Amino acid sequence: MISPTGAPLSRRRLLGGAAGLAAATALAGCGGPAAAREAGPPRRGGVLRVGVTGGGSSDTLDPHSPATNPDIARTLSLYEPLLHWDDAYTLQPAVAESVTPEPGARAWTARIRAGITFHDGRPVTPDDVVATFRRITDPDDPKSGASQFGILDDVVVASDSSVRFVLSEPSPVFDQYLAEYSCGIVPADFSLEDPVGTGAFRYASFTPGQQSAFVRHDGYWRPGQPWVDRLELINFSEDDARINALLSGQVDAIDQVPLSLTEVVGSYDSVRLLTSETGSWLPFTLRVDVAPFDDVRVRQALRLVAGRGELVEQVLSGQGAGAVDLYARFDPEYLDPAREQDLQRARDLLARAGKPNLSLELVTSPIQAGTVEAAQVFATQARAAGIEIGLRRVDTSTFFSDQYLQWEFAQSFWNTRNYLPQASQSSMPDSPFNETHWDDAQYQSVVRRARSELDPRVRAQLVRAAQRIEFERGGYLIWGFPDRVDAHQAYVGGLVPNRTGLSLSGYEFRKAWVSA
Amino acid sequence: MSPLARMILRRLAVSVLILVVVSVLIFAATLLLPGDPARAILGQQATPERVAALSEQLGLDRPAPERYLSWLGGVLTGDLGYSAATQGPVTELLGGRIGASALLLVLTALVSTPVALALGARAAVRRGTRTDSAVSGTSLVLAALPEFVIGVLLVVLFATSVLRILPSVTIARPGEPVWARPEQLVLPVLTLALVVIPYVVRMMRATLSETLDAGYVEMARLKGLPERTVLLRHAVPHTIGPVAQVIALQLAWLAGGVVVVEFLFRYPGIGQALIDAVANRDVQVVQAITLIIAAFYVLVNLAADVAGILADPRIRHSSTGGGS
Repeated sequence: MISPTGAPLSRRRLLGGAAGLAAATALAGCGGPAAAREAGPPRRGGVLRVGVTGGGSSDTLDPHSPATNPDIARTLSLYEPLLHWDDAYTLQPAVAESVTPEPGARAWTARIRAGITFHDGRPVTPDDVVATFRRITDPDDPKSGASQFGILDDVVVASDSSVRFVLSEPSPVFDQYLAEYSCGIVPADFSLEDPVGTGAFRYASFTPGQQSAFVRHDGYWRPGQPWVDRLELINFSEDDARINALLSGQVDAIDQVPLSLTEVVGSYDSVRLLTSETGSWLPFTLRVDVAPFDDVRVRQALRLVAGRGELVEQVLSGQGAGAVDLYARFDPEYLDPAREQDLQRARDLLARAGKPNLSLELVTSPIQAGTVEAAQVFATQARAAGIEIGLRRVDTSTFFSDQYLQWEFAQSFWNTRNYLPQASQSSMPDSPFNETHWDDAQYQSVVRRARSELDPRVRAQLVRAAQRIEFERGGYLIWGFPDRVDAHQAYVGGLVPNRTGLSLSGYEFRKAWVSA
Repeated sequence: MSPLARMILRRLAVSVLILVVVSVLIFAATLLLPGDPARAILGQQATPERVAALSEQLGLDRPAPERYLSWLGGVLTGDLGYSAATQGPVTELLGGRIGASALLLVLTALVSTPVALALGARAAVRRGTRTDSAVSGTSLVLAALPEFVIGVLLVVLFATSVLRILPSVTIARPGEPVWARPEQLVLPVLTLALVVIPYVVRMMRATLSETLDAGYVEMARLKGLPERTVLLRHAVPHTIGPVAQVIALQLAWLAGGVVVVEFLFRYPGIGQALIDAVANRDVQVVQAITLIIAAFYVLVNLAADVAGILADPRIRHSSTGGGS
């Protein structure tokens, strides 16, 4: 059941994973319950209890600064942005009926959905939308969504049902930013004491680090939804506790089944696994401005060292897709080139770079399931090419301390994004998270042109050109796109695979129902 | 003042001294932690001006001894400081959690003590029989298992796989106390009890065996007293001192052991808060919880000492007092 990973077992994995769940499977045969109750057709009513990974006493209801998974799940239940990424990762209208660029794409107009109301019954007005974006980009207290609105000069009321976004430079893809979950529309007089939005669920109660509860928003605009009357989100900091809660029937669904345990959890008749392909990626980050990574041949050699199939097999238990140093796999222009492991060429490149016996320190941290294991597998692969990689393991808070963005050779984790929004986050000089200090003049000019190019065909060519540059000499070593595996009771219906990288159908519990 | 009272007072003074030393150590240890508390509180919004302002507000610009004294003063007046994660007072964060953890400890003590004493006594009285080897063998195996393994096995047996009769985690609705659903307490309490019982059983068996071999017990038997009276009036009182010590040590250990068990069962006590606080670099919460656990440790040991003193006839009847 547990695949033979090269990773040494930690105490927790050994005891919690092997001892607990192996024993569980062995014993499951003797005392299995009667035939599982199936979900059946959509049904109104009932309570949905969901176990969500992470969170703690710093949990928040702030629509514009969600940090942890429970924060994101709460945000997506209470609030909605103007636009919305659907399960297939395509843009769909939400609070806005339409968002359209003006000729030249230096300004965009959002038309607010007719009849849409907040939880307190008031209609959504253009003033509310303007106030929302003022709150996000407040210079004294910028929220986490603010960084992507650097080009947003102003938001103004355009008519009694529309607002106009005025940009400092043309942006043909500005609508994609409006669909991020951290841009939920709230009333102009919003306060955290009364967290009102337009989401499918109304606020009922919230205990940071423990749980939050929500009730059905009867005035919700999507017909039929939400199906359940009450939604409870319960924090779990521990994998075993979360899985045990599902298996013992204390919760109806959980997010993030560890990939090494999916087979075990799936062997229970009463439980269904929900596997989603995602565009999330787990890169190694090489800082291109420090030795030895400033030599492009060293970066190329390391990329040739990575055995991507083996990494996916061992780190993700085969549940994911290999990547070739490019992100944004769901972007229509994704290049999808090939790069095979080639230790001989890697050795040649290092010899020509004058570093035949390279010795490196890789900073690793359990920032996401699989990161530490990936570091261990990669270090083993590198040894075969004569590269010695020492692992320096730090805890998550140290990893994201002041030193984050300074590590020379480390790892990271990103969710699904299309190419240009992701490049703006991590590959441009003004990106908030330029982890690799990537600063390539030719690349920047291509991306800048792409960002403001109005002709979709020319833009597509530019996006492909930018990818070719990163594929050739970028600082990211991207080996895989992990699947997201969640689990729910067989009697829960409506949750479907979702490409955003967020768990449980994108944490959109309006879609879920429970059978009687 | 009677010598007995003086002796107890001296133990008390020593305990207070130990607590002061512990508080210095805790404070010094958190000074050594990397990172700046003001930066930790502000997180992403840590502009240099705001860090400076908050540092002043928290008194981080003052010398360490002065900060220690003001922290200690706060602790003595019930002000445990300010939590970086919740942006509120530590007392607010810990209020309900201390009660929840205390409930776990009290229930464990109530369940484990009588069971362990009875089993230990039975094994001692029936030394060398099958009962004795069964009790001793089982307690040896249980003593060798870490609490995490016991907990996971109980969950597999009673919650998820073999039988599905008990909840595996604690989920309380907002505002609902943990004891509102007693079935959720069963597995955590049982886990802790199974960890504690073996040690007490073994100590009870060893001490009582020794006593049963002693001359005065032999004497009582020779006087023709019934075995029951010999056991309860002459043998058992001599075991109270050492056994109380072991029970106290186990209870003191429990205060730390709840951390793992609360984690496994998602029990909303101080152990879970401690893990969360360490992960968040929430320094003042870590200080407060560590101090609470240390204080509990010292107090329980003090209680055991006093019980030992009161139970020991040699000390109780001694006119000169002095050492134990």
